[in-house]
Amino acid sequence: MTDDDAVDPREGSTVATGTDDGPRSVDDAGPEPDPDAAAADAVDARTTERRSLSSLVQIVWGLRMLFGAVVLTFVASFLSMTVDPVPSWTGAAAGAVLLALGTAWVHLRYRVWTYEVRTDALYLERGVLTHVRTVAPYVRIQHVDTQRGPLERWLGLSTLVVYTAGTRGADVSIPGLTAAEARDLQGRVKELAIHAEGGDAV
Amino acid sequence: MKLDPLSIPYRILQSGVQILGGLVLVAATSASSGDGFAASLGMVGLGLAVVVAFAGWQVLYYQRFDYEVTPDTVDISSGVVSRREREIPYGRIQNVDVAQNAIQRALGIAEVRIETAGGGETEAQLRYVSRAEADRVQELISDRKRGAVVESGAPEPDSEELFRLADRELAVLGLVSADFRVLGLLTVVASGFAPSLAEVSAPGTELLIMLGPAVAVVVLGGFWVLSAVRSLLRYYGFRLSRHGDELRYERGLLQRYNGTIPLEKVQTVTLQENVLARRLGYASLVVETAGYAAGGSASVESAVPIGRRDRVLALARSVEPFGDLDFERPPKRARTRYAIRYALALGVVTAAAYALDRFTGLAITWYLPLALLVVVPVAAHLAWANRGYVLGADHVVTRNGFWRRQTAVVPYDRVQTVIDSQTIFQRRRRLGSVTVDTASSGGISSGDAVAVDLDASVAADLRETVAERLQRALGTGPAT
Repeated sequence: MTDDDAVDPREGSTVATGTDDGPRSVDDAGPEPDPDAAAADAVDARTTERRSLSSLVQIVWGLRMLFGAVVLTFVASFLSMTVDPVPSWTGAAAGAVLLALGTAWVHLRYRVWTYEVRTDALYLERGVLTHVRTVAPYVRIQHVDTQRGPLERWLGLSTLVVYTAGTRGADVSIPGLTAAEARDLQGRVKELAIHAEGGDAV
Repeated sequence: MKLDPLSIPYRILQSGVQILGGLVLVAATSASSGDGFAASLGMVGLGLAVVVAFAGWQVLYYQRFDYEVTPDTVDISSGVVSRREREIPYGRIQNVDVAQNAIQRALGIAEVRIETAGGGETEAQLRYVSRAEADRVQELISDRKRGAVVESGAPEPDSEELFRLADRELAVLGLVSADFRVLGLLTVVASGFAPSLAEVSAPGTELLIMLGPAVAVVVLGGFWVLSAVRSLLRYYGFRLSRHGDELRYERGLLQRYNGTIPLEKVQTVTLQENVLARRLGYASLVVETAGYAAGGSASVESAVPIGRRDRVLALARSVEPFGDLDFERPPKRARTRYAIRYALALGVVTAAAYALDRFTGLAITWYLPLALLVVVPVAAHLAWANRGYVLGADHVVTRNGFWRRQTAVVPYDRVQTVIDSQTIFQRRRRLGSVTVDTASSGGISSGDAVAVDLDASVAADLRETVAERLQRALGTGPAT
C-alpha cells in the first residue's frame, strides 16, 4: 500500500508533462531559451526514489509457487506410497517443507526487489539466492512494454518490460506494478529514453 | 534482378535428394510389408508426382524472386503464394557474406547472406546467384554504405592485406584446435571405465586388461584428428584484408566463405587462447558485430583462426585501439572458493561412481577420482590466475578460463546493460561478478564479458563506473 502512496502525488503531473513537452523538446530544441537547463529539469522531474513492488505481487508469486508445490507433492506422495521401504507420509512431509520454503522465498523475493528511475539509467535490484543488480541506460532502450497475465489482471497488476539490444539482459522486466504505477513508469522511461538519444542504440 | 538460372536445377536437386530419401524409405517399408508390387509401384508414382510438383515450385520461386540494390536500400520481393517485400536500409546492414560449397563452386553459383542487428536469423538470402554477381552485390553494398557515388570515377578505397594463414600456422591450428576440456574429460572417463570394459568384453584374460588404455588412446587420437581435419577444411586459405572501413575475410576448402565486417559496427573483440596455443605462443581473434560473430552463423568462429600472439594482439588493436592489459586479479579468497568447489565436485563424482559400482554390475574403480584431489589446489590457482579485468581509457577488458582463455575487449560506447550479481556462495565470501552486456550475438561459446569474483564493493564500483563511462563515451549524459 505504501507504494501507491509514493506514486500518487507525482502520477498526474508526470503523465501530463510526458505527453506535452517530451517529443516537442526533442523536435525543436533549438529555439528554446535554455534547452539544456530545461532538459535537465525535465529529466529530474522523471526520476524516482528507490521503490519496492506492490505487496500484492506476493499473491501472484505465491499462487505460482503453490501450483508447483502441489504438483510436486502429488508426485512425491505417489512415489512414497508405491516404493516399499519409504514410509507413505514422506510425500506429504516433503510437500509441507517445500511449501514452507516456497513461502519464505516469495516473501524474501518481495523484500529484495527494488527499482529506481535514475537520471541516466534504470536500476533494478532483485534475487533471493543470487542477488542481481542491473543498470539499463536509457540510451540503450529499444522499446517499453507493459504486460498483464490473467492472474495479474485479476489483481490489477502489470509487468513493465524494457527491451535493449543486448544479448543477456535483453529484457529487463519489473513485475508487480499497479496499473497506475506501470503507466506512470512506462511514461517516465519512455520520455527519458527519448531525451537520451544516441544513435541507433546498437 | 533475377537469381541465377542455374539455381533452379540446384534447388531441385537439393530438395530432390531429401524427397528421394524419404521415397526410398517408404518404398522399402511398403515392399517389406508384403503389399505387393502394384502398391509399391503406386508409391513410386506418387513420389514422382511430388518431385515434379517440387520442381514446378522451384521454377515459380525463381520467377517470383526479385532483388535490387537501390541507392538507399536493398529490396527483395519473394514468395510464391504469400508475397514478402523487404527493404533493408544500408545503414542497418551489419555483414554481407558469400558462401559456396563444392557443388555450388562447380556450378559457379554462390549464396549471399545479408545480416542486420534485428532478430536471430539472416535477414536476407539470395539463393543462388552467379559468383560474379555475388561479388558485385557485396561490393555494391559496401560502396553504398560508405555513401560513395558509385557511378564511375568513385575513388576505390585502399585495400591492404592484414593476415594470411601460412601453412605452418595451418598446421598449428590443426594441432591446437581440439577442445581440451573435452580431451581432459575423455581421459578421466576412459581411464576410470576402461578396466571394467575390458573385463566385461573379455573376462578372465589378464593380457586384455591392456585393452582399456588402448581404447582410451584411440578415442583421444581420433577425436584430436577429427577436430584437426574439421578446422583445416574450415580455415584453409584464410585471408583477412582491410578494405576502406571494412574487414574482409575468405576461407574454407570445400565450403568457401567470404564475408565483410564493418569496423564501425564492431561490438566486442575477443582473444582466445587454449592451453596448447598459449604454450606455443599463438592466439586466435574473434571480432563480433551485432549481426553475428564473424565467420559463421550458428557457431562462433574466429576472425583470425590462429596467429602469433603479438601479431594477433596488434591486429586486435588496429580494430579496437585498447591500451596495455594490466589485469586486476580477483582477491585471493576467490582461489579458496575454487579449491572448495572443485573438491566438492570430485566428491560428487566419486559418490556417483561408488553408487554405480555398488548398485550395478559394472566394476568401476570408483575411488579413482579421489586421486585428482592432489591437483585441486593447482587447478584452483590456475583458474584464479587466469581471471581478471582491466578498466581502460576507452575499453573494459575481462579475462577468464584456463583451458580456453578468453580475453574480451568491450569499448564503453558498445555497452548495453551492466549487471552485477552475487550468488549465495559468493556472498559468503563478499565476492561478486559483473557482466558487461553488449549487442553482439555471439552465443554461448563466445562468452560475455564477465569479471568474475571481484570484491563485492569493487564489483559495485565497476558496475557504476562502466555505466558512467558509457554515458561519457556517447556524450549523452544528463545536461547537468
